[in-house]
Amino acid sequence: MKTPLVQPAQPPAATVSEFIATFAVILVAIAGLLLFDSALATVDTNARKAFAAKEFVTGERLIARGKIEEAVDRLRAASTLDGDNAAYGIALAQATLAGGHPRAAEQMLLPLLERDPADGPANLAMARVLAKEGRNPEATSFYHSAIYGLWPQGAEMRRTEARFELIDLLARENSRKELLAELLPIQDDSTHDVARRKRIANLFVVAGAPTRAVAIYREVLRRDPRDAEAYVGMAEAALSLGDFATARTNLVAAQKLVPTDSSALQARVVLADSVISLDPTQVGLSLPEQVRRSRNLLQMTHLSVRKCLGVQAPQVAAALDSAANALLLSPARAGQAQSIEQNISLAEQLWGLRRSRCAPDRVDGALALIHNRIAQ
Amino acid sequence: MRAIKIPALPQRVRRAVEDLRRKEDRLSLLLSLVIGALVGLVVVAFILLTGRLTTLTYLSGGSSWQRVLVPIFGSLVAGYLLYKYFPLARGSGIQQTRAALFIHDGRISLRSVVGKFVTTTLTLASGIPLGREGPAVYMGSGMASVIAHKLGLSRLQIRSLVPVGGAAAFAAAFNTPIAAVLFSLQAIVGDLHAPVLGSAVLASATSWVVLHLVLGDNPLFHVPAFHLVSVAELGIYVVLGVVGGLTSVAFVKLLLWLRAAFTRLPRTSLWIQPVAGGLTVGIFAFFVPQVLGVGYDQIERVLNGDVALKAVLILAALKIIASSVSYASGNSGGILGPTLFIGSMVGASVGAVAHLLFPASTAGPGAYALIGMGTAFAGTIRMPLTSVIMMFEITRDYRVIAPLLIANVIAFFISQKLQKEPIYDALAHQDGLHIPTRPGGAQPGIRRVSTAIREAPGSLNPEMTVGEVALLVTDSKFESWPVADELGLVGMVRTRHVAAAQKQGREDMTIERLMQIARRSDGERSVDLPHVHNDQPLSRALARMRDNGHKVLPVVSRANARIMLGVVTLADILEEYGVERADQLDYKDHPDL
Repeated sequence: MKTPLVQPAQPPAATVSEFIATFAVILVAIAGLLLFDSALATVDTNARKAFAAKEFVTGERLIARGKIEEAVDRLRAASTLDGDNAAYGIALAQATLAGGHPRAAEQMLLPLLERDPADGPANLAMARVLAKEGRNPEATSFYHSAIYGLWPQGAEMRRTEARFELIDLLARENSRKELLAELLPIQDDSTHDVARRKRIANLFVVAGAPTRAVAIYREVLRRDPRDAEAYVGMAEAALSLGDFATARTNLVAAQKLVPTDSSALQARVVLADSVISLDPTQVGLSLPEQVRRSRNLLQMTHLSVRKCLGVQAPQVAAALDSAANALLLSPARAGQAQSIEQNISLAEQLWGLRRSRCAPDRVDGALALIHNRIAQ
Repeated sequence: MRAIKIPALPQRVRRAVEDLRRKEDRLSLLLSLVIGALVGLVVVAFILLTGRLTTLTYLSGGSSWQRVLVPIFGSLVAGYLLYKYFPLARGSGIQQTRAALFIHDGRISLRSVVGKFVTTTLTLASGIPLGREGPAVYMGSGMASVIAHKLGLSRLQIRSLVPVGGAAAFAAAFNTPIAAVLFSLQAIVGDLHAPVLGSAVLASATSWVVLHLVLGDNPLFHVPAFHLVSVAELGIYVVLGVVGGLTSVAFVKLLLWLRAAFTRLPRTSLWIQPVAGGLTVGIFAFFVPQVLGVGYDQIERVLNGDVALKAVLILAALKIIASSVSYASGNSGGILGPTLFIGSMVGASVGAVAHLLFPASTAGPGAYALIGMGTAFAGTIRMPLTSVIMMFEITRDYRVIAPLLIANVIAFFISQKLQKEPIYDALAHQDGLHIPTRPGGAQPGIRRVSTAIREAPGSLNPEMTVGEVALLVTDSKFESWPVADELGLVGMVRTRHVAAAQKQGREDMTIERLMQIARRSDGERSVDLPHVHNDQPLSRALARMRDNGHKVLPVVSRANARIMLGVVTLADILEEYGVERADQLDYKDHPDL
């Protein structure tokens, strides 16, 4: 006969009092555990933060000693232990970048920026990473975020540093318009910091705004007429402006102030002399002299273009040869003035061709300055 | 624990409480919140204590000898505690939770919960490379069970709260509330559509909130943004799926093989067995310190691209061995943590090789380590969907889904092909537990074995001879008889086999030998111990009879398959279905026959 063999036992039902009492115990346990956990979490967090800080300091020291790999290990430990501290993550990314791993550094910075897109240091670090990878437009954007971002301390100084890094990047890229746009907001900053003023003035020259540079150098020289560096800067600005005589005067003045270290200066003086002697547009020259100088300029420009295009496009170079020679050898039928115009015009066109097709050559420094002046 | 009594209660309060107890939905809602909060807090305490003690134990890494001695000492102490005081706290806790749910009506004792907390904390703090998540799930389920029992809830209510506690614990342990619900329903209940879904979600969310309240919004791993460099990279994720699947199978097989070997050792050695794990870990850690502990910090480093191919390969291999020995020898700890570790190392290895070969079209090894974790989870635990959701919750990055799905499905498929039985089922079987893969429930219209069970006719001893047995069984209406030794049921012997042996004059042959010969002649149909469980449908019993050729099957306990509760016969099953057997038909009622 079949019999039900297994009868599961029912747990005893609690009375209402027991039910409430059990609930009360649970609630007390929850409250107690919340306090216990909070205390434990505080102890744990403090210990982790302290250890992370120690690792960070060690990592920074190792970076200073050039031990990048060991530093990365320490900084990674710091960053893992105290993930809330963005400084550790940024330091780790920068050390990783220094170790030659820009992609890894980029990956490390992304979550930090996601967490706080306005974080100045993180934006600056990311800009450096991208600049290292040659992704300059993206880097520029992150530099801007760093300049206008939030900084935990020394905000003004760090922002200026970031801006100068961006300016250096733009100068290297020869992005004149962007460079000028970055320089204009700071041209009146730091009036007491002469070194910075001279740096800004120099960058104005690079940005193609030598007039602004001249103004700054004048101001610097008014304060200290014995500042040789300012004279040199002023000379460079004058060269850019095509005021070769002023440039020479300033270079000689600088030479007088630093006679012992004048080889570089002497080279610039020689350059100034060259351009002064070559410039066909110089005021006060006789017509025959202007003709001679213009022919000379055309010949030099032609040679420069020939040197460059001869390798790149032999057929174009040969055609240029015949055209230039025909012009140079033919007598000035329409008069000397027209001849000067024709020579200079052709030289300008050739120079334009050279600029578009060939890389700049230091040998052509004087030629470049003259054409620059003619273009003005 | 004795229930606490409080003095007089205002009538209004009493009525409100009684009303609450009557309305199961409201009570379930309230309990889900309470259990979620309590379990979350306990798991947070567990995580913090384990981490703190580990840091203190291995302050500044520790010396080489410290790395050898501490795991040995830790496993020795934990082993003794497990043997002496908390025998149910061994291992992961997942299969124990399932056993509690399906075999013991959801009952888990407070002692087991405390034991799990203490022994796992001790084990993990000493550097044994096992996970904290499985034990956390057991503790969560246990607390839910204890609370439900103390509140005097019904058996059904207690059972329904066990997976709720498990979900809350998983959510706090992994910081993945959605995956926690899926894991609980799949791994514990075995049914994603279980009615406890709502409660599990609520408890999981509450636990997650508690976790964030105490520890802040810190994911389990800080992972860099995932990106697929090129579509061709998906091909490499296919390779990762294959490698991850094969590694999972290797891990599972080694673990099960070692565990089977340990279970064959004398029971008196149970207290010292965990030391085998401690010793293995200690020796490995002497040379490679990163083997110690669950290794989440190491995983984070790898995820962030700090990968040296040789190092990650060595770590993957050592961790597979160390975790397998540690688990198999009976230390308290889970396999989810080691699974993630092994997966990340294997993924990083594949990624490192791929990046070496195709640097322009592949992401760094960290991305592969992430997907590798998912494949190992899908391959080892056999929950590909839970794995995808979990990785999504860890990374919080939607872009991870496509490669993860591809790699997971491949790993899951390979694992399923090469290792038929999922790990938690296999572990339960090694413990003699026969847990259903899906909940039985009270589905109307399904007749269960319990309705047709009858008392066994008695059992035969395997040492008895054919001649002795023939005297007992020849005239019996039972076509098969249970055979049992002093430890319980060992098999079934058919009456016709006994008669045939007697006819051949082999009366001195033992029943044990006769069973061996029968098994050999049955070939593929042979099962060492053909049986059914009380809660299984009668259709299952019929199918099993067809598969084994027995018309009588023993009904055994799910907690121990050698404990026979009774037998079920073909005749009884047919009777239960209302089918008359041909030999019992009254031909007067069926003139057409």
